[in-house]
Amino acid sequence: MTALVRAEWTKLFTTRFWIGLLIGGALMTAGFSVLFTVLAGVEEEGQQALPEIGTPAYEELALSVAVQANVFLLILGIIGMTQEFRHKTAVPTFLTTPSRGRVVGAKLLAYAAVAVPFALLLLAVNVGVVLVAAGARGNAPSLTGDNLQTVISSGLVLVLFAVIGVGVGALVRNQVGAIVGALVYLFVIEPIAALVGAIQVVYKWLPGGAIQAVTSDFQAPDVLEPWQGAVVLLGYGLLAALLGTLLAVRRDVG
Amino acid sequence: MRVEVSGLTKNFGAVRAVSDLGFTVEPGSVTGFLGPNGAGKTTTLRMVLGLVRPDAGTATFDGVPYADLPDPVRVVGAVLETAFHPARSGRNHLRVYCQAAGLPEQRADEVLAQVGLADAGGRRAGGYSLGMRQRLALATALLGDPAVLVLDEPANGLDPEGIQWLRGFLRYMAHEEGRTVLVSSHLLSEVEQTVDRVVIVGAGRLVREGSMEQLRSGADDAGTVLVRSPQAARLAELLREEGVAVTVDEDGGVTVHGRSSAEIGARAFAAGVELHELRPHSSGLEEIYFQLTAGQEQYAAPVPGTAGKAAR
Repeated sequence: MTALVRAEWTKLFTTRFWIGLLIGGALMTAGFSVLFTVLAGVEEEGQQALPEIGTPAYEELALSVAVQANVFLLILGIIGMTQEFRHKTAVPTFLTTPSRGRVVGAKLLAYAAVAVPFALLLLAVNVGVVLVAAGARGNAPSLTGDNLQTVISSGLVLVLFAVIGVGVGALVRNQVGAIVGALVYLFVIEPIAALVGAIQVVYKWLPGGAIQAVTSDFQAPDVLEPWQGAVVLLGYGLLAALLGTLLAVRRDVG
Repeated sequence: MRVEVSGLTKNFGAVRAVSDLGFTVEPGSVTGFLGPNGAGKTTTLRMVLGLVRPDAGTATFDGVPYADLPDPVRVVGAVLETAFHPARSGRNHLRVYCQAAGLPEQRADEVLAQVGLADAGGRRAGGYSLGMRQRLALATALLGDPAVLVLDEPANGLDPEGIQWLRGFLRYMAHEEGRTVLVSSHLLSEVEQTVDRVVIVGAGRLVREGSMEQLRSGADDAGTVLVRSPQAARLAELLREEGVAVTVDEDGGVTVHGRSSAEIGARAFAAGVELHELRPHSSGLEEIYFQLTAGQEQYAAPVPGTAGKAAR
């Protein structure tokens, strides 16, 4: 298995798409970090759109924006899996390792591991920008206690989304379909689900609800415990990978 | 190592691509896997290699199916439709499979040299020519120094020099090194000088399996020769008297079946018949191959003119 995981890393780092995803994720994280800090405490029609700088609510919000970049790690995992089919390298891959379940397993491990330094970089961007921007407004948050926990939780969510990406890729196989489907889900279906009161019971079990559970956003409605949220996210990734292996990856290639 | 295929069957929806196909591939020889386009060759090879799941039947390497081989890369090397990430260099492509198979990474450079790509290994594979892609696919197959080589239409995209090289390479692998080589082609003439044995399929079924000698033995009197003579009718008559099948067309052309050019020339000379042209039209081997697989192309195009006449 170690050999297969190494081969997956070589596959990833002998192509370039990860650089673009990393830059995109870093820009998005930096952008939201600045935006949330600039808008913090600004009053609009007598109401604060975002909590005041220096409050725990602001700090938790500002130090969890790296989570917004989860889409980039999701796409990283999706491309990692689906490009085997897109470029037909699934043929030499499965000739070398006829057990397709082992190939998917190696990808899950390889992308979870790769996501760790990726997530650390995004967290560094997040924390760095927030410290500078909030510091400029006179109240940089401390990196202790709840704040530290928020940062670590955000990193965990990012890593879990790389795993979910591999799972989604295994299930869908078609690269464009998998990415478009994932984006539509994250940016259209789930926000609607979060708004509709009648299905809020269900929402806490959806990936979006699970993210809120892990980062325990103050705005969150009724959510799971943080550890339960992490388990739910990991569960989605592994379930998709398992179903994908059984239903899609094992299908004929060529 | 012997490859045994038995009762292999595969349906794609209502289309039966491969039907109860069985044959064996022996070590130390090059076996040609022949048939027209759409005869099921590629599907068969993909089933042999565990990429496509057969509806029935088995394919084994010394009794073991591909999926159960403990170290498949060291047993079987396969050249299928070329597959690589266009942004990855040829050398990195090979390194990936060295790592996955637990082979030392220097094998990547060794096989690149073996197929003549040593200088191109650092370039993006997406920029390779068709022939270079085929060589990279062959290099991938050779990584594990396998006992069996399976190649699907490997001559596609190779220039004449490359084809010449490939022929020598495959013969060397089989005859000098005792490996088992199975090479598919839709053209008999392409592999005629390379293969020792043939497995001919048509419409997913086995049509003929045997040595090239066996195929040739039926071929000596199967060829056709085209003759042009101002005395075409007389020549045709002479040959018919000997029981030779002859057809005469309007402009003095005579098509003779089952006699060599030399035999026909000698007969004409003895009878004092003037000849303006005497040339072999098709070799017996091609003729036999054509007869064996006639009408079994999946998408046979009508001969220009004939379909229109039939419709009128």
